[in-house]
Formats: sequence, C-alpha cells, structure tokens
Amino acid sequence: MSHYIVLVKQVPDVTQITDNAFDPETGNLMRGKLPSVINELDAQALAFAEHMRQLDGTAGGKVIALTMGPPMAEDVLRYSLARGADEAVLLTDRSLGGADTWATANPLAYAVRKIVREMLGGADDYYVVSGMQSVDGDTAQVPAQLAEEMGLPCVAYATGVAKGSERAEFTRIISGGSQKVSPRALPAVVTVAKYEETLFAGFAATRWARQKEIIRWSADDVRPTAVGVKGSKTRVIRVFPPAKTQRKCKHVASVGEFVQLLRESLKKASAVEGANGDVATDYVLPRKRGSVMDRSFEGTSKEIASFEDLVGQLKALNIESAGAVDDEAKEKIIAASRNGAKLNQAMLDDMLKGLEAVEPSYRGDVWVVAEHDNGQVHASTFELLGKARHLADSLEVKVGVVLAGQSVAGMAGSLIAGGADNVYVIEHPLLAEFDPSAMRKSIAEVIGRHWPQIVLFAATPQGRVIAPMISYRLGCGLTADCTSLDIRDSSRKGEIAVLMQTRPALGGNVMATICTKDSKCQMATARPGVFKRLPADESRKGEIIKEEVELTEDDLSLDVIETERGTGDVNFEAEIIISGGKGLASKSNYEDILNQLTSTVAEHLDCSVERGASRAAVEQGFVERVHQVGQTGTAVGPKVYLAMAISGAIQHMIGVSNSEAIFAINNDPNAPIFKQCDYYLVGNIEEIVPELTKQLGAN
Amino acid sequence: MAKLAGFNKVEVLVVGAGPAGLAAAITIKKRQPEIGVCVIDKAEHAGNHNLSGAVIEPGPLHALLDMALGQWQESERAQDVLGHVVEKDKVLMFLGKKLAFSMMPSIQMARLFRLGFGKMVHKGDYSVSISKLTAWLSDIAKEVGVEVLHGFAAADIIMNGDGSDAIATGVKLVDQGRGHDGKAQANFMEGEVINAEVIILAEGCDGLVTERFVEEAKLTRETAQLYSVGVKEMIAVSDEQYEKFGSNRCVHAMGYPLWTPLRGPGMFGGGIMYTHKKNHITVGMIVGADWKYHDFNPQDALARFKEHSYVKRYIEGGEVVEAGAKMIPEGGYRAVPRDPATNYIGKNNVIIVGDAAGFVDMLRIKGLHNAISSGMTAGMAVAAHFSFPEEIAMRYTRMLEESRVHRDMRAARNFRQTVAKFGNSLGFPLSVAANWLPKFNIEPDYETMTKASYRFKREKAFDKDAFTAAARVEHREEQPGHIKIIDPEICYNICPDNYDCPCIVFCPAGVYERIHDEARPANPSNCLHCKTCQNKCPYDNIRWGVPEGGGGPRYKDM
Repeated sequence: MSHYIVLVKQVPDVTQITDNAFDPETGNLMRGKLPSVINELDAQALAFAEHMRQLDGTAGGKVIALTMGPPMAEDVLRYSLARGADEAVLLTDRSLGGADTWATANPLAYAVRKIVREMLGGADDYYVVSGMQSVDGDTAQVPAQLAEEMGLPCVAYATGVAKGSERAEFTRIISGGSQKVSPRALPAVVTVAKYEETLFAGFAATRWARQKEIIRWSADDVRPTAVGVKGSKTRVIRVFPPAKTQRKCKHVASVGEFVQLLRESLKKASAVEGANGDVATDYVLPRKRGSVMDRSFEGTSKEIASFEDLVGQLKALNIESAGAVDDEAKEKIIAASRNGAKLNQAMLDDMLKGLEAVEPSYRGDVWVVAEHDNGQVHASTFELLGKARHLADSLEVKVGVVLAGQSVAGMAGSLIAGGADNVYVIEHPLLAEFDPSAMRKSIAEVIGRHWPQIVLFAATPQGRVIAPMISYRLGCGLTADCTSLDIRDSSRKGEIAVLMQTRPALGGNVMATICTKDSKCQMATARPGVFKRLPADESRKGEIIKEEVELTEDDLSLDVIETERGTGDVNFEAEIIISGGKGLASKSNYEDILNQLTSTVAEHLDCSVERGASRAAVEQGFVERVHQVGQTGTAVGPKVYLAMAISGAIQHMIGVSNSEAIFAINNDPNAPIFKQCDYYLVGNIEEIVPELTKQLGAN
Repeated sequence: MAKLAGFNKVEVLVVGAGPAGLAAAITIKKRQPEIGVCVIDKAEHAGNHNLSGAVIEPGPLHALLDMALGQWQESERAQDVLGHVVEKDKVLMFLGKKLAFSMMPSIQMARLFRLGFGKMVHKGDYSVSISKLTAWLSDIAKEVGVEVLHGFAAADIIMNGDGSDAIATGVKLVDQGRGHDGKAQANFMEGEVINAEVIILAEGCDGLVTERFVEEAKLTRETAQLYSVGVKEMIAVSDEQYEKFGSNRCVHAMGYPLWTPLRGPGMFGGGIMYTHKKNHITVGMIVGADWKYHDFNPQDALARFKEHSYVKRYIEGGEVVEAGAKMIPEGGYRAVPRDPATNYIGKNNVIIVGDAAGFVDMLRIKGLHNAISSGMTAGMAVAAHFSFPEEIAMRYTRMLEESRVHRDMRAARNFRQTVAKFGNSLGFPLSVAANWLPKFNIEPDYETMTKASYRFKREKAFDKDAFTAAARVEHREEQPGHIKIIDPEICYNICPDNYDCPCIVFCPAGVYERIHDEARPANPSNCLHCKTCQNKCPYDNIRWGVPEGGGGPRYKDM
C-alpha cells in the first residue's frame, strides 16, 4: 500500500488570453484579467496518482493534494478533492510570495515532510506526483529541486505506469525515445509529462469536497530554509511583450519557387535568438571601454539612458570620477534630473557607486554540460557551445564542457572542434545509463571543483532534470528554457558582466529577463534550436581533463528495465512539421502524402521532420490524436510549418502561431489559412504532391 | 466510496441554472431556509450557456432581487449588469438594403386601441447580457445557501410507478470518460444518479430531460411547439459609433432580409440591435424556424442585416468579440406541456418552469420576465408545500394560473400561430383578432422545408469557424459524438436529392459536413447546444443528446 502526495498549482488560464488581457500602454499581459485554473499537467498528475492507486489494488492508500499559493489557491484543492483526493493541504503565507523555483521547492519539501510525519505516520512508501511543469512558469524545476532537497529518486517525464514486481514501473520520455524505469527505493518523485485521461468531478464527490476541511499551514508551520523573494536565487529584471511576427501572405505561383522558399526558411537561423530586442550589441568589459564611466552595456535601454544622463552631468560639472562627487555636486545633479527620471539621494548614491564598479562580479569559465547517446554528442550541446564561446570571448575566459558517461572520452575531440577549450571528462561504469542521481552527483562535484561562472544545459528531458538538481545541490539559481543569453551590467546594483537570461513565460505570451542572485555560479537551460552551432574546426586546440568521481551502487536511483529509441512518440520539436487536414479526404491518402513528403524531407533536407494534423483530420481518423496540432492539440513552433489541405480555422492557427515560417497548400483560393501564412500555393494537392516531392528530393 | 455516502441525495433538485431555475432556487431558500436546494447545470461556469437578446421587463426581476437582497439598486454588480435602460425604442421596417421606416406610430396606435401587438414596446426595460445576469443570480443563489453545481449534465429522469401515481425519484447524469468508440477509458465515470424529493425542470428551450419527462409522464401539448432560431454577435465599435448609437437604444427591425412584400422571402422574425456594454453593440437575427428555404441559414440573414445602411454605420469596422446561437420556444400558451388528466404543468413532484415549459410572450417578444416569474412561483409552491411532494405540480399550476404569466400567455395564445398560418402580410393584421380565431394546428417546424432557395443568399459562405471561436465553444474531443442520426440512409440517399442536406447550411456551428457524399455531424465539438438540428431536419432524423458536462459554449457577455 503506497500513498500519493500530489503537487498541484493554480495558474492563469492562458487559453483564455485575448487582446484585452494585454495592457494597451506597455503591451504586458495583465495576469489579473485571466481566470485561474488548475495547471493542466497537475490535473493529469492527479489522475496518474489515482491510476497508480488503482493499480496497487490494496486498500488504504491515500491521495493527498498539496499546493503552495495565495488563499484562493484553495480552489485547486477543492478541484482535487472532487476528483479522488482524500486530504488537501494549503501552504499559504505572505512571506512565501514572490518566490522563484528554489524558494518554492524548498517550502514544499518541508511541507511534504510534515505531511509524512503527521498524516502518513512517518511511512516511507509514498510517491510525490506532480505535473512535469506549470503553464505559467514553464520551468519544470520545482519537482526535481524538491527531489534534490529530499534526496529522493526522480522519475521525470512519465507518460505511463504499470504494476511492477516490487515497485511501479514507469514509462518516461527520454531524448529520442522512451524508457521503462522503476525507482530503486521509495519514496520517489514522479513528474507527469502526458497522461490524458484526467478525472471527472463526481456529483457526490463535489458536494463532499465543498464541506471537507482543508488543512492550512503557514511558513512557520513547516519551517523552510528558503522563503519568498529573499530566499530566491534569481530575480526578474524586466518583463516585456514578445515581438509579434508578421506573416507575409505571399502567393507563390510555382512549386519550384515554393520549394526554394521552403529551403531558405529552413536554413535561416532561428529568429528566436536575440529576442531581447532591447539590447543587441556585443558585450565589452568596462576596463576595455573608452571610459570606465561608459555604461552602454546595461540590461535595459532605460538604464543605459539614465547613466548616460548622469555621466553627461558629471562632464558638465567637470567631474572626472564618481568618487569625486561632493554633496554640492550631488544637489546640483538631483536638481537637474528630469521629471521623467527624477533622482533622489539614495538613487544617485547607488548609481555613483555603480560607476565605480569595473570588475566583473563573477569569475571563472563558461561551461556547457554535454548530452550524448550512442557515442554521439547531441546537436543541442554544439548549439550551447556556440553561445558559450560567444559569451566567454566577451568575458575573456575559457569555454569548458563537462562530458560524463561510461566511456565518453572519444567524443571530446568533436567538442573541441565545436568551440571548447577544456573538456572535463568523467568516466564511470555506473554512468552507462542516464540515472539522474548518479549523473547529477558526478557533474555537481566537478562543477564544485572548478567553479565556472556560467553553466549552460540543454532544455531536453535530460537537461531539464539534472539542471535543477545540480543547481539546487550547489546552491545556485537556475533559469529555464532561455531564448536569449547576454552579458550585461547591472551597475546600479553593483553587478558587472552578469548573465541576463531571457525566456518566454505564460505560454509565450510574455518575455522575462532574469538574473541570478546569491549564487556562486549562474546557471541556465536553453531549448534546442535556439542558438547556432559554430562550424566544426578540427584544427582547434583544447585540453582534455580527466575528472575522477566516486560512485557506488547506492548512488543509482532507478532501475532501467527497457529502453526504446525512435518509437511512435511525436517529436513536435522537429525543425519542420508537415500537417494534413481533412481536405486529404481519406486515411490512406493522408498516409501516402505525408509519408512521401516526410521521408523526402528527412532524406534530402537534412533536418528533423514530424507529421501533424488538424483536429478535423484526427476526428476523421486519418492519424492518432497525438499528432493533432492546434489550440486543443499541441501548440508548435517549428522553423517551417507546412499545412496541406488545412483550411486554417482560428483554433488551428493559434497553435502554430509560433512557427517561424508557415507554408500552405490548398485548392480553395479563399482558404482562410492564406491570410495567416507566409507562402501559399493554390491547387489540387494530389496534383501538386508528386512535383513537390520531386523538387524537394532534387539536390 | 464510503466517504461519499449520502452526498448524492438532495431535497430539491433544479435542473438548469438559468434565470428560471435560479429564481426558483432562491425563492425556496429565502422562504424556507431549511430545505436543501441544489441546482445543476451542464455549462462549465455560471452563465456560459445563457444567451438572449436581451431586453427584460423589470417587474419580476425587481421582485426577485428585492426578495433576495433587499437593497441592491446601488450595488456595483447591479450597475454593471443593469446599467442600460431602454429609452430610444425603435421598431423599424427595412425595405431593401437601404431604406428603413419606423413602425412605432402603428404600434402606438395599436397600444391605444389595446390591440395585441401594441405590447411590443420596450421603453424602460433593461438591456442586458443574460450570461452576466445569470452569473449574478448564480452568486446570489450561493449567498442565500443554494448549492449551484456546474459541469453536471443531466441525461435522464428516473420515474417510479405508472399513470397518475408516477413519481420521479431522481435524475441520471451523463456517462463521462468514454472514448470515440464508446468504450470506457481509464477515467470512465458512470453517470451518477441524484436522488431528490422534488425536481424542478428549468433546462431552457427544448430541454433534454424535460422532453424525456414529457414522454415518460405522458404529458401532452395542445399544439406542437414552434421555435425561432436566434444568432447573435457582440461587436466592439468605435467611440464615435457608440456615441451615435447611444447607451440606451433598442432596435427591432422587420422586413429585409427575411421578408419583402412581393417577391419574398417570407419569414417570421427580424433583426435586433441592443447595447449592454460600453462601446459594444449587439446585433442579432431571430428567424421563425418554419422557414422553407433549404439553403437558408439565419447567419446569412444576420450578415445581410449588418450590411443594411441603418445598421452598418454603427458597426462597420468593428470586431466581433463574442457570438452565439440559441432557439426560442414560441408556441406559447397551447404548446405548454401539461398532464392531460389534470392539466398540471408537471406531474406530482416534478414541475417545469421558464423556457423549458415555453413561457415566451410573443406579443411582447419577451420571455425572461416570465421565466423569472414562473421560477418564483415554483419556488413559492415548493416552499409552502414541500412536505407533500406529490402535490407540488398541482400547487404550482394553480398558483401560476392566478398570476400574470398565465394571463399574458393566454392573451398571446394565437398570435404566433396566426402569423405562421397566414404569413407576415396577412398574419400580422389578422393577429389583431387572433384570439377570436379558431385554434390552428400548425405543423412542426421540420415539416416546412421545401426545395425553394433563399433569394438573398450570399455568395461568400458565412465564416462559421470564426463564429464558433467567438462563442469559445469547447468539448472534450475524445468523447463519443453526442448527436445521433436515426437513419443514415436518409442522409445518404434521400435528403441530398430533395433538400441538399440543409443541416450543413443551417447549423450555426458548422457541426454538419458532407464526407464521402454523406452529411454527418462531423464536428460535434463545435456544437453550441442550440438544438436547431433536431427541430429543423426535414426528415426529423436527428436527435441531440447531451455531451459530457462542462462542454459547449462559454458565453460571458451574450
């Protein structure tokens, strides 16, 4: 008999975002305008836990829902109680507000401990089950950090569960496939990536849930070690609306031209990089600038302007260094400051102090944690290397790569060619399979020996598990899924040459720039495809450094039962997604056309490709629902989205709006999709496809 | 599960959290707080499935609010929901795309002579969003102690015993968690049975459980129920347009594009323009469902209406921010279902209120005030006689017969039928004497379809996808289709040659589509729950079943 503590979170309903949810002045999303709902993946986690309880079969297993949030988060607990949960705990306290993932995972871990002590009689046969990530934060960090805090095995990205001989066996997503694993011991943390059969509220259960008492704990009740803003390891510098893309809506007359444009779009570097349009120039260290008072590398243009003003005034007063400003000069400067940027004494002091700061706040190299399978380094690692090289050059430090596995030294050469100066190789037989516990222990240990100033991970199923664990273990802040990484100053805070980490949040509806604080090292993950790899340079020189780590069987947390690569799992991270609509008329037609196109593209265009479908096509049974693209399916953002015989209903187009280029083919010249795509061909699909395949296949 | 034992029992169950059902629930709770009252509704949130024009006569609403709240006039919510009072009451006749004449003089004249359609005035009424009003009433109900539970769709009523002793024991909810193929999924949940002492059916027009009850309890209607279909859009307009239109104008327009005097078409109904939100104008088209044009769709008429010069100047360039569709029961007094033996509107412990019963006053072209009145009457009957559940139908019917609802409904009893029988040109004048005319047996709406074409059909098809997107309709997509075709052979072999499958055209949500030469409900997840299909299919070949709770449109300002 096992128990299940389900972590649930209340989030704004991002599916309800309309134009009037955005502030007309700033363009920022007004969160208060959105209704609050349970995070969808947490609803799935609750169903997953209930399913585990049923599989277990023995009576007495409890499901306990736990959330941390404002008092209104009670709603998600009632939601859970109406769907099978037996008890509900609300961790709520003003002091806990404003927390980042670090200061969220920590109090939650203490709450789990208290639940186990007081409600489960100290039992250790329990699972902490949670959605893989929340739709507002999108970081996927809290469950893994909670596992780290509690020292528990973490089964991340679970999609299924079966009864095992001793403990439950989970199916989880790994890069390029899936794997069956079982935790070697309980308790364990499980994060759910997809479990579609969410529970329905019962009528009787809803009425029961309404009168059921919810257990409320404050911060003092659980006594966490990290609390709220103060306990956080990151801070938000600014929030801004994402750049809106304009579709070209260009009618293309010939298949040849269509294919040409498609090839060009695929080759284009991701437009996402540099989405932080506010500042774009390469960073220069203060001591290399014409004047040490040159502050044109601040994080925001507003800040750059403020310093420019100040320096201008100092110049006008013939003051050469910030230290030479006396009280009289200060008064003059304050008096002269403009209404829009009115200074006060404290602000001026901060700025003057900032002007004196010239040494970088962090020391050490820029590192990348490598990911690999089957003796091959992942493309995402090379992309990070490209970025790391760039960052390291402007900081005048070296690029290091950590490469951990059973026998991996052979891959070091390709990393040096890809831009690394040092490759830190960790080899150990127990690292043969990806076990998050053993992996995070080894890598954290090596990071702790050298203390780089920046560590980058790929935001892949692997990276998104070990990055939170490693950062938590080392006491460092972490920003997930960055789309832009820049070195900038935050002079007012006395910070020089820090990593500004820009990432989308709230389902891509806002962008946030984040800085690390109170940490020895700045850590971030970035999505594959965001940064550009450098051309491999075999003549580059670098050093391969062997690192020894001690691992025993006890460091393993999971038994790997079976690994499957390249199964039917859908890879919507592919560079090109080709979708078919109802206009393809039949399942066999859909299959014929999609097979032809995807195999040709994969073979000749050297890129990853996946097939998608409109809702109508799925409902006609042309393809399984996992392939459904759109608001109710999966929202995708490939480099190229090719829509075949899809009319372009709003619901579909919302789900592809993040695509860099949208191509469409339809026989109806009035198809709405033509007004929402970049390039389109009008014509009969059956007639166009043979020519299209031929042209795509031509080298 | 043991912990849930007893939680499926309630004392009074109200099916449908619209104005009628909530009025009933609030009334019971205010009069007899110890009676447990539970209201269930299939919509995800309060007001999501409530759509109406709407102008509402203030009397009954004031009575309800006075009873429930005492002081309410100054409250923020009241200002928000009831902030628009009709002052400029326009009744127009559109002739062609440009001309508009005021009908007000003839209505005033009729009013002077106390003729029926002289009641068609709206000055002093509230212009409201019924979704918002319902959401408010739902909050009031919760405040006074009613349990209002959303997301629970009732599928059937459970009756015990036969004939005059037949008593309802409860209501069965719809099964949830079946796959497309009907097979139970891991999260399958069989429809629970809610047991209740008294059941108030307040489902609105053509209620699913109501009609099951009418059948089971053998209630009858003197004449067939007649319907209209209403489609509506709320349009965000510019400051200038809104200022020009004003915050208190109410427009009803007859004629084009539904009716022209000589060459047709000849349909009952008209367009509306209201405002119940700043910088927003609501346009709508309400059409008698006895139209005979196989290629007609009320949305086409709405599009034409929007192009009329009178309408266009106020909304041109505006953005449709919300849209929806519903049916209106217009059969009136004689189409109210009653027990033939007793004449009660219900049987023993089950009663029917509001649109589910059909209390729309066609002389006033309004029904909301009667929905609230009948609901309050039901509430009073239940509060006073709860100890004798089997007397509720009798008490309710008697109290209703002494009320204004009954008088008004009787006065309007032949108006709609007269127009249906004689057409607009003759029917309207004749309606003056409607109540001296004999009872007409009007055929049900689905029998009126012909091969004729609608003269003002637009070349460009109406964008139903945009319409359903504006209704924010959503269903769990893996569930079995909730719309059944009785005999697919008809759709494949017979209907195409005769009427060219009109469901494809008239369904406002584009649910029906021709796939492999057969019209099918191919996109059930677009369904707006208007049920036009089951009343307008020329072969009466469609049955609308309720999908899983929480599915359907998500109206906020309709």
